[in-house]
Amino acid sequence: MAMLSRTLERLFFLAAIGSALLTAAVFLLLCQLAKPLFQHGGLGTLLCSPWNPGHGQYGIYPMIVGSLSIAFLSVLISFPFSLGCAFFITHFGPLALRRKLLNLVRFMTSIPTVVYGFVALFLLVPFMREFLTGGSGMNILTASVVLAILIAPTMIIFFVDSLQRVPLSYRQAVDALGGSPAQQLLYVVLPMAWPGILNGLLLGLGRAMGDTLISLMLAGNAVAVPTALTQAARTLTAHIALVMAADFASMEFQSIFACGIFLYLFTALLIVALRLVGRLSPRGL
Amino acid sequence: MLAYIKKNILLSAVCTLCLSLVAWPALANDLDLFRGQHGVIKISGGTAHIPVMKEAAKQVMSAYPDIQITIAGGGSGVGIKQVGEKMVQIGNSGRKATAQEIQQYGLVLFKWAIDGVGVVVHPGNPVHALTSAQVQAIYAGKITNWKDLGGVDRAINLYTRDEASGTREVFWKKALNNGEIAAGANVVVSNGAMKTAIANDPYAIGYVSVGHIDTSVRPVSLDGVVPTNATVKDGSYPVARGLYSITAGEPRGAVKAFINFLFSPSGQQIAAAKGFIPVR
Amino acid sequence: MVRLLARFLPGFSWCCALALTAAVATLVWFLLRGGLPASNVELLFGGTRAMDALMLRRQVFDGLFPALFGTVALVLLAVSLAVPVGVAAGIYMAEYAGDWSKALLSLVFDLLAGIPSIVIGLSGFALAIVLHRSFDGRLGPCLLLSALALAFLVLPYLVRSTQTALEGVDPLLRHTALTLGASKLQNIFLVLLPNRLADLTGGIILAVGRCAEDTAVIMLTGVVASAGVPDSMLRQYEALPFYVYYMSSQYTGPEELQKGYAAAILLMMICSLLFVLAFVAQRRLKSWLLYR
Repeated sequence: MAMLSRTLERLFFLAAIGSALLTAAVFLLLCQLAKPLFQHGGLGTLLCSPWNPGHGQYGIYPMIVGSLSIAFLSVLISFPFSLGCAFFITHFGPLALRRKLLNLVRFMTSIPTVVYGFVALFLLVPFMREFLTGGSGMNILTASVVLAILIAPTMIIFFVDSLQRVPLSYRQAVDALGGSPAQQLLYVVLPMAWPGILNGLLLGLGRAMGDTLISLMLAGNAVAVPTALTQAARTLTAHIALVMAADFASMEFQSIFACGIFLYLFTALLIVALRLVGRLSPRGL
Repeated sequence: MLAYIKKNILLSAVCTLCLSLVAWPALANDLDLFRGQHGVIKISGGTAHIPVMKEAAKQVMSAYPDIQITIAGGGSGVGIKQVGEKMVQIGNSGRKATAQEIQQYGLVLFKWAIDGVGVVVHPGNPVHALTSAQVQAIYAGKITNWKDLGGVDRAINLYTRDEASGTREVFWKKALNNGEIAAGANVVVSNGAMKTAIANDPYAIGYVSVGHIDTSVRPVSLDGVVPTNATVKDGSYPVARGLYSITAGEPRGAVKAFINFLFSPSGQQIAAAKGFIPVR
Repeated sequence: MVRLLARFLPGFSWCCALALTAAVATLVWFLLRGGLPASNVELLFGGTRAMDALMLRRQVFDGLFPALFGTVALVLLAVSLAVPVGVAAGIYMAEYAGDWSKALLSLVFDLLAGIPSIVIGLSGFALAIVLHRSFDGRLGPCLLLSALALAFLVLPYLVRSTQTALEGVDPLLRHTALTLGASKLQNIFLVLLPNRLADLTGGIILAVGRCAEDTAVIMLTGVVASAGVPDSMLRQYEALPFYVYYMSSQYTGPEELQKGYAAAILLMMICSLLFVLAFVAQRRLKSWLLYR
């Protein structure tokens, strides 16, 4: 019995350590494979130069710009929208509808990404082409709008959570003073819940940055550095999916590993930022 | 007399049997090439080939369930690289492998059909004829509005393929004369995707394997020659290329059978049915 | 300024809620309108007889069955790889880890949860090439590799859901069995885990859903456009989400587009079903366990 329990406890430990080591291994594998880049100072060149294999240029600068603009724009669209939905669930909606909307939001998390992309390709793209952006309809704006809907549930659930964690007594105090739900929200709840909201925002940004399918299907995948929101662009994730390779030696291969490392470091920075925000949180909210 | 007839019948029956035995593999059932074979044939690369590969795989796998054929795209460049690295057994390519690639990997090329690369627009587009110079200017981003070509006053939506594409390579060399392709062009990943994209975008221009052209897109004549199988075949349409299936080293077993099947009457018939010009 | 905001906020909030509902309604309506009229058994099995296909006696061509089969096999494989490890690691995190190691490990798991799925796919692909070289071409991108990569993808969710489930046990309950002389392991397996079975099941079902919908990982690790039903784990395969992606951009005619719709509906049905299961598990299982 003691033997069994010791074995099991060791297994638990191994599982935890093993998974942690695997995470590190992924990073090391990426670094190892992109090693030639670090040796010749090639990484800097790759990060700053354009993608033009015909002229021997394998830079990922346009994809970095594409990724950042699509991710930030989608968060910009999604943030007020998600906040509005979260307020509806916590403050403004009729009680019967609050629960329903929250369930709808939870249901949205189960809709596959590819389905969003599929529907948008046949509904939103023609609409954008004819009425809003012109061009092919596949551009930064289209991808960002769909991505905004995709990341909304993550944000809404997080927002609702942190809004509801403000102690009931505080909220009741506002009610007792005759304050409206909007006043309660603006003067009491938001000032206390903002670290949680910032957390949700960062999580949403991480999801937007890491998504592959939406930008691959809807952003047009052009390799030029985009200068307007109505232009086609390629993200780092889509670039990895597009540039298939079969050997370690080629420049294409090294460039997609540079993309992988950039994405990995970006998310790592976000996680650190999330941790810092967690420390800011007043009174453990 | 009766005996003579009997003998004659017997003789003709024997003759028929012999003849049919001899003629059978070539005429009645090309799938017999796969008799006794089993295993996996992994195919990747050229996207123009995919409809032919799918149909061939369907026929082979239906008759011989022990053979599994998997088909992926990726483009000619990926096909050549992957077959060279032996990650697949057959790499398809819509361009000839370079001498360096052939030497480096010991590639063997099988050209089983001829195809062209044609410029296509949406069926509703009034522009039906372009010159080489116009196409080059459009792709370089110098002509940006359909109005300048006699069409509606809308921006031209450029579509191109990724760098692994053999179709892109052939088009770039033979139609664009190694000219610039604007970086702002939409990039799609296969001939199928190109056709679908052009069919859905009224202001699009793109280039696609002639075998893939159907009523959903409209071929544009280049310097007065419409890209069709006939014009590709007689050489009047210049942007032509072979469709290759490539193996690393001489093919063996099921892979050899598959290559032979592509060259058999049945295989060539599939190629023709999917819009390509058979070599035999 | 704030006063103005206070007046305008409820209306804005209503608009957002309506827009969200409208977006989901449009999505579902569009899929059903495009896919339902043509949904029938033939879409699933093509020209092959359904029984033959289901018994794996004949390959299915022009049908969704191989993709459906691939997705189900993939999910089962990935989840059976990930659940034991994830739950075990979660138990360690909640019950055994010291403060210092807990902080470090949870940072690592957060990091893992944040890695974009395409990067995990890329690592899987790199691993495939390494394996391909070291095993003389017998290993490469395949079903097993995709399952491994997917298992890695959902691992942090499983760890986190197990950990929070265990940590959420009422301290009173947590200590009862221990004071009665139960060992720590007995306490975990006979008291804590059964008490939190609902949350645990919910977490696992959500992980299944994540495996079923992911496209980015599998498109680099072994999914192909056409493969039929694979006869071993070391083969390439078809999968529903990739099928939807593939058809959306390169359908060759109305029939293929129809199949794209059908695949999207099928995938959505699978994922919603899993969601409802998780939902019910988290609510009903609790009461069922309490009143048993």
